[in-house]
Amino acid sequence: MATRAEIEVLIAQVGMRDRAAFSSLYARTSAKLFGVCLRILKDRAAAEDALQEVFVKIWYNADKFIAGGYSPMTWLITIARNHAIDRLRAAQALTQGMGAEADAVPDGGPGPEALAVAASQRAAIDGCLEELEDDKADAVRGAYLEGYSYQQLADRSGVPVNTMRTWLRRSLLKLRDCLTR
Amino acid sequence: MTDGRQITGDDASRAAEYVLGLMGAFERRAFEAEMAESAVLRDEVRAWDEDLISLAQGFDEVAPGPHVRGALEDRLFGREARRGIWSSLSLWRGLAGAALVGAAALAFVLMRPVVLLPAGDAPVFVSQIATEDNALQMAAVFDAGAGVLQINRVAGAPAEGRVLELWLIAGEGAPVSLGVLPPERRGRIAVPEALADQFRNAVMAISDEPPGGSPTGAPTGRVLAVGVVTAL
Repeated sequence: MATRAEIEVLIAQVGMRDRAAFSSLYARTSAKLFGVCLRILKDRAAAEDALQEVFVKIWYNADKFIAGGYSPMTWLITIARNHAIDRLRAAQALTQGMGAEADAVPDGGPGPEALAVAASQRAAIDGCLEELEDDKADAVRGAYLEGYSYQQLADRSGVPVNTMRTWLRRSLLKLRDCLTR
Repeated sequence: MTDGRQITGDDASRAAEYVLGLMGAFERRAFEAEMAESAVLRDEVRAWDEDLISLAQGFDEVAPGPHVRGALEDRLFGREARRGIWSSLSLWRGLAGAALVGAAALAFVLMRPVVLLPAGDAPVFVSQIATEDNALQMAAVFDAGAGVLQINRVAGAPAEGRVLELWLIAGEGAPVSLGVLPPERRGRIAVPEALADQFRNAVMAISDEPPGGSPTGAPTGRVLAVGVVTAL
């Protein structure tokens, strides 16, 4: 893994349409970003398509990176996560109304909480999520990592959608208080 | 997170909902419009992005297949789009996925379509039709009750001596022309009744065509921009 400064410089160079820098950025970050796409889409071919789109977005948006004030890996991973979630939802939207039940989340297998964070990485957010009740923390992870809507989160918890909305907003504020402590 | 900034609890939870992708299409666009005017909101969104990223940072790295890099570089730096582009449904869907400005649209890629949403009981469909680089962006709102499609082209124009033509692709069907886009940025297009029920789960696209539009009834020029149609 390259250092933060190296990635930052590469993105800035890609912003100036430097193809060699793009190639180098791909070599250093594609496995990380592919891991994110694969985890969200759970399908290798779909994740490879998504990865291609992610790097197309990186190529065209790199010039806006500096102005955005993001740390480089956050910027890259956010593009990958957002694109993968958009794809997941687009696929669900396309299957709805075509007779197929849109249930993109297979039961069984490790849940988001098991896969989300390697044991060695104890980031601030994990500690803060632990302060929330389990089902509230799962809802935050489910929205971020599975792209669940309020309706889907409500269905999974067996509560009305307005209840879920109230719960989650309250939980997000608690989370924010914890993160800013 | 940055300390000492003034932000209400409502703004903080809305920023988190935005980052998580929990907002509906309309709410999201309103939030993006607000964000464009507010550095405090942008900071809040960025802070959530930075905090939540650690949920994704622990995923295992996996090497993508070697063909991905070749395909990517061909696409960015290689020749123009391949032939037969219009016949490939999977390509359509891929493009649609790519162009979908969804719940998770990047905070700094702000789209601010100014389209008034019609009120009423009939279904309303919206689409953000845009190229990858956002050089061409158009918002479309279809009021099925009135049979009127409102458009607002926020960026881009036809090439010299060419026109832009709008297409609707429903399900597995062939593209159906909705007409040539007017030269003005904003306009209304009357949609024939037979097409009004085709918007659900459809895709809209803009192609480059000769003056007067495609002579064949099917797109003849390049696909410039694609957008998924969303029901509100």
